[in-house]
Amino acid sequence: MKRYSILISAALSITLLFNACKKDMTDINATNPNQFSGSEGRLMITGAELANVLLNEGEAARMAGIFSGYFTGADRQYLSLQQYSYGAGDFDNIWGTLYAEGVAQCRLIKSQAAASNDLVLHSVAAITEANLLLTASGLWGDIPQSEACNDNVAMPKYDKMDDVHTYCISLLDEAIKHTAGSSAHSGAYAGGHDWSQVANTLKARALLRKGDYAGAAAAAANGVEAGKDLIANHTADVPGAWNLYFDFCYWNRGGYMTCENSYLSTLLDGDSANTAKRHNAKTDEDARFAYYYASGTPDNYSSRDPNYLDGIFASYSGYTLVGYVENQLILAECASRSNDDDKALEHLNNVRTYNAAMFAEGKYDAYEIADFGPGKMIDGTDASKALLKEILTEKYASMFGQIESYCDLRRTKNAIGVPANSGTEIPARFLYPQSEINANDNVPKDQLDKFLPLTYFQ
Amino acid sequence: MQITRSTGDPGAGAYIQIRGQNTITGSNQPLIVVDGVPVSNSSLGGGVDGVVQQSRLNDINPSDIADIQILKGAAAAAIWGTRAANGVIMITTKKGKKGLNIEFSSSLSLDYVNREFQKQDKFGQGVNGNWAANNALSWGDRIADRSGSDSFNTSGAKFVSEDGSVQYPITHKGDQTTYNQSNRDQVFRTGVTWNNNLSISSASEKGSVYFSASDWNQSGVLAGNSDYRRTTGRLNFDYNVNDNLKLSMKNTLAKVFSNRVQMGSNLNGLYLGYLRTPADFDNSDYFGTYYNAAGVGTMNSHRGYRNYLGSAAPTYNNPGWTLNKQVNTSDVTRFIVTPELQYKWLENSTFIARVGYDQSTDRRITYFPYRSAASTSTGSFGDNFITESELSMHLINQSTHKISDKISMDATLGYLYTDRNFFQIGGSAINFIITDQDRYGFFNSTNDNMTPFNSISRVLNDRYYGMFDFDYDDKIFLQLATAAEASSTFADRFWSPSASLSYEFTKDMKIPTLSYGKLRASWGRVGVAPPAYITGTNYVSAGSASGWGELLDASYFGGSIYRSTTSGNPNIRPEIKQEMEIGADLKFLNNKISVGATYYSNTINDIILATAVPASTGFTNKWLNAGTISNSGFELDWNIKLIENQDFTWNLYGNIGTNKNIVEDLNGSKSIFLAGFTGVSSRAVEGESMGALWGGKWKRDESGKLLLDADGFPQPDAEEGVLGDPNPTWKGGFGTSVSYKGLSLNVLFEACQGNQMWGGTYGVLNYFGVSKETGEEITMTADQGTTIKDYYGMTAADWVAPNDDGTYTVRGKLEDFGGGNVWLNQGWYTTNGGGFGPVGEQFIYDASWFRLRELSIRYDLPQTVLRALHVPGATIGFTGRNLALWTNVEGLDPETNLTGVSNGRGLDYFNNPGTKSYMFSLSIKI
Repeated sequence: MKRYSILISAALSITLLFNACKKDMTDINATNPNQFSGSEGRLMITGAELANVLLNEGEAARMAGIFSGYFTGADRQYLSLQQYSYGAGDFDNIWGTLYAEGVAQCRLIKSQAAASNDLVLHSVAAITEANLLLTASGLWGDIPQSEACNDNVAMPKYDKMDDVHTYCISLLDEAIKHTAGSSAHSGAYAGGHDWSQVANTLKARALLRKGDYAGAAAAAANGVEAGKDLIANHTADVPGAWNLYFDFCYWNRGGYMTCENSYLSTLLDGDSANTAKRHNAKTDEDARFAYYYASGTPDNYSSRDPNYLDGIFASYSGYTLVGYVENQLILAECASRSNDDDKALEHLNNVRTYNAAMFAEGKYDAYEIADFGPGKMIDGTDASKALLKEILTEKYASMFGQIESYCDLRRTKNAIGVPANSGTEIPARFLYPQSEINANDNVPKDQLDKFLPLTYFQ
Repeated sequence: MQITRSTGDPGAGAYIQIRGQNTITGSNQPLIVVDGVPVSNSSLGGGVDGVVQQSRLNDINPSDIADIQILKGAAAAAIWGTRAANGVIMITTKKGKKGLNIEFSSSLSLDYVNREFQKQDKFGQGVNGNWAANNALSWGDRIADRSGSDSFNTSGAKFVSEDGSVQYPITHKGDQTTYNQSNRDQVFRTGVTWNNNLSISSASEKGSVYFSASDWNQSGVLAGNSDYRRTTGRLNFDYNVNDNLKLSMKNTLAKVFSNRVQMGSNLNGLYLGYLRTPADFDNSDYFGTYYNAAGVGTMNSHRGYRNYLGSAAPTYNNPGWTLNKQVNTSDVTRFIVTPELQYKWLENSTFIARVGYDQSTDRRITYFPYRSAASTSTGSFGDNFITESELSMHLINQSTHKISDKISMDATLGYLYTDRNFFQIGGSAINFIITDQDRYGFFNSTNDNMTPFNSISRVLNDRYYGMFDFDYDDKIFLQLATAAEASSTFADRFWSPSASLSYEFTKDMKIPTLSYGKLRASWGRVGVAPPAYITGTNYVSAGSASGWGELLDASYFGGSIYRSTTSGNPNIRPEIKQEMEIGADLKFLNNKISVGATYYSNTINDIILATAVPASTGFTNKWLNAGTISNSGFELDWNIKLIENQDFTWNLYGNIGTNKNIVEDLNGSKSIFLAGFTGVSSRAVEGESMGALWGGKWKRDESGKLLLDADGFPQPDAEEGVLGDPNPTWKGGFGTSVSYKGLSLNVLFEACQGNQMWGGTYGVLNYFGVSKETGEEITMTADQGTTIKDYYGMTAADWVAPNDDGTYTVRGKLEDFGGGNVWLNQGWYTTNGGGFGPVGEQFIYDASWFRLRELSIRYDLPQTVLRALHVPGATIGFTGRNLALWTNVEGLDPETNLTGVSNGRGLDYFNNPGTKSYMFSLSIKI
């Protein structure tokens, strides 16, 4: 009997233990206790906007800036970039931001907003998506759009540059209808903008690339007004919210990128030997120069750093994504190209007035037509050509650090003459990322040459 | 089996691999079973920076181990299930022995760095051939050309170090002193380990007891906060209640405290700051007070070669700061208890019930004082408390059945249930308020600067299994096993069958000289459970970052929760591994020569991967059953008893193993990132071995010839590709042991051949102009000096004045890439020819090695001495480990891995160095 009592007590103690310890296995891992399994559109939009900010202010902008004569790659991998030595692997991260953190989120937000008939949220997501895709198409040309971010498509096809632009313009047209006067859902931005104006300027940017000057001018006529720029907000002044140029150039990768001998700095430097420098009887760029560049403090890495201390790229400085100056200069260029120099000059002088207010120590007296032409203050073969070049140069100088300048340079066949760092040409495009080449058969294999111009810029 | 220590840091995790890699992003580490219960072998952490974490396997006191058995094939999975797909290491701890046995052993080990990088000492800090303070590079002036001594501006700013020495701004660099040796001596020391162990054991017919206490106290070879102290206690006892009932309990407790040193791709890391230091910079005064031009002092200032006055945090840490001011502690408490009941309830049948509970807690502190380099310059503190536990319950019935005269069967029926929990809680704090007091608390930051975190994970598993061992006439053995397993991470119960057969043919046939011969074959299939929480797509706190560290975190923008960039997959299935093996065990000449040989091959299907998908799909990664890999290999081991008699024995032994691993299929992905950098990484690539090194290549034509630019330099290709294979073609060990009376000697050589590695450190030292190679000088003829171009397109004549005879002596070297000589100098090394350029191909090295792994001598003191000492036994010994290393790799022990115990292999980037050691031991029986 004893044998059985031992057996029974053993079985009993194990049963007790077992029941105390054993948990039902089903559903234990069904829900991730450390993460959410869904979100709301109004909570997602800021994330998508931050992706848009990172795309336009981060690595892509620095690379475009090096190609555009804004910056000088000075250390480590950036030395190679300075020599236009870059590969497909350099773009994986940027596309992750562009699509997975940007476009995909915008489309999720749009479908949620459509379901709840929230037209403003829908429009803000659409503007964000258009901003992302337009920037990308300006760098890569043909990119996935119609089949992008679709759970049922493993290898999205690449849409033509023109089709991407047409799609973005349709997004913007629809958004313009619902966002007049609104700056709602602007977690990533400083506020004060008007979404419909932002959408119009973006549309003008797209049409200008295409060479549709009348269309661009019509859109820009309703574009961003003075004081209503779309500005990435960095006022929190903490890591994770900083101005990305400050974060890169000073905090994380000090010395990698400077402005030593950068073309723009030689235009703005009053002591520069560059004969194209901008100082003249009506213009003093010293204040803008000081706002753009910094040197001579223990916090500097070179003799001419981008001004991340107390200027344009300070940790707390906002970064303009879509602004009044660009809008005015689109209007100016379109007028000039439509042979309306008076109107072109008017818009150029609007910018000079803006500059005079912005850089109070500088001088930006209004130009007259008589200031342009052979042997004049602004030299050129004729007044119209000199004026157009001045408009393009002012735009180049005003949009320091912005990707759109790289588009302008290629679109205008480098009319303002930014010298190449290496060889005779500046690169015509970014390369498709390695992550796409690896796993998407639709990558246009005939467009892997960094000196092959984009369709719009041929 | 392959075991690789990540670095020489005390207690560093080891990568253990049995028969090749079996999965891609999951763990390839085997299951560790101690006294019949599965225990944790985790090494949490291990990226391209940070510190090398310990492996929890190290918590076990090696002196307590009686026996280690390694189960290799998939057949091992019959009992242990999906976690055994990578093999099982079965550890049995000691039991009491008859009588009263007291043994005390003590050892002292001296550790040294076994390989170091050589640095040039001909050229100073600076660039373009000019000395420049605070410059990152060593492309400065020729030190021998300097005249006079340094001149200083003593009227303004200065740095006063702890010992009172003063540094002023240098106005003229005239001093020719170089500091490579003293900078080296600042970083390394002799590591010292004291290991003491006491055990008491006893046994009678009623049961046995084993008690031990041990203390391992190690200071590492890095001269600072690098140490490891492990104190363990163990009590094993069993008690025979009667002939049929036996109760036992095994308990162990370990307390491990250690200090780690930051390493890797990390501006606060040791090797990064140390190796990049120019030859003419003295790192010794790293801590003191900076006075600005107005004479205002800043205490606790940090001086390094990137900021030699310490006016702000230098871009890279001074190694002295890394070693002595930064703190990275780990404080581990671990216990394992194993109660067990055995009851022989029938004459031929025994029932066993065993519970195992393994729990560890680890408190990790990471502390960067104010003015540490880079992003930690305003101070950074992290506190992380990790708890891991595993509860297992094991019910087994073992029975023996006589089926006929010649056939018997042992049957084992079992049920195993495990419940694994992981929990961590902690936080980080930055921007210290008080900057000159070291406090490891959150109170030194404002609320805005603190980030708390926690996470939990729980996985349940259970399995029923049956194992039937048939024995025919004691010469043919057949084992059939099957198991049904369920896990909380996948829905359906999974079946894994296995079978093995062996035949001792020498029982049936007599073959001359063959004294024993056995043939064996086995086959098995096992599923590997998916990790927890990958079935759904998460929504996460939004944030965007580039690869450079700058980021936008939505929590500073009012918060945002958006869809993760990794897609979950509700249809995920277990990975399935199938393995077959055949082999033979043979003994010749009266068992004097024994040989074992095994061929195996396995295929793992449905490998679970967070597959990289084109970002244009809206995700960067997606969880998929996406891959297939296979391994096949041959293992041979031998032992030859050359001499064997009462006083003298001499053995030769060894083993050799090959493993060919191929990633057969990745479901369309060309390659999957496992570990490393944007530039060079270790990846799974279709058609290549796991961990293949991947990165930028030179542009070549179809015949493989380099496509050169106009000056004759190779150019980077736009697409990346496979650069090398970190897996060896074969590994082996060859040893001999000799004993004569009480004296015994053991010598073991090990070899690892045909593996490649990425020398990231070397490439970057070229970039900085610090490596020996970049310190070379050449003299060009007058003609060469005006025609041969450097990467800037300049000739020697553009850089320097000619010598008296018209020749040019310049820094660098000539290289012919196929288009005539080009001049490699700063222009080349700081761009495409250096470690930061886009071409990783040039830094892939053959990392084969051959080493004297162990040399040990033991001497059992003779009876005459023992009698005088009044002890029953005493042994003294010496063991040298890693005493000699033959390899073509420069500057480091190729048995290293940057990313710790991860599946990414063959990467070096400022890893902490490996070690060799000399150990003296004494063991006394009392």
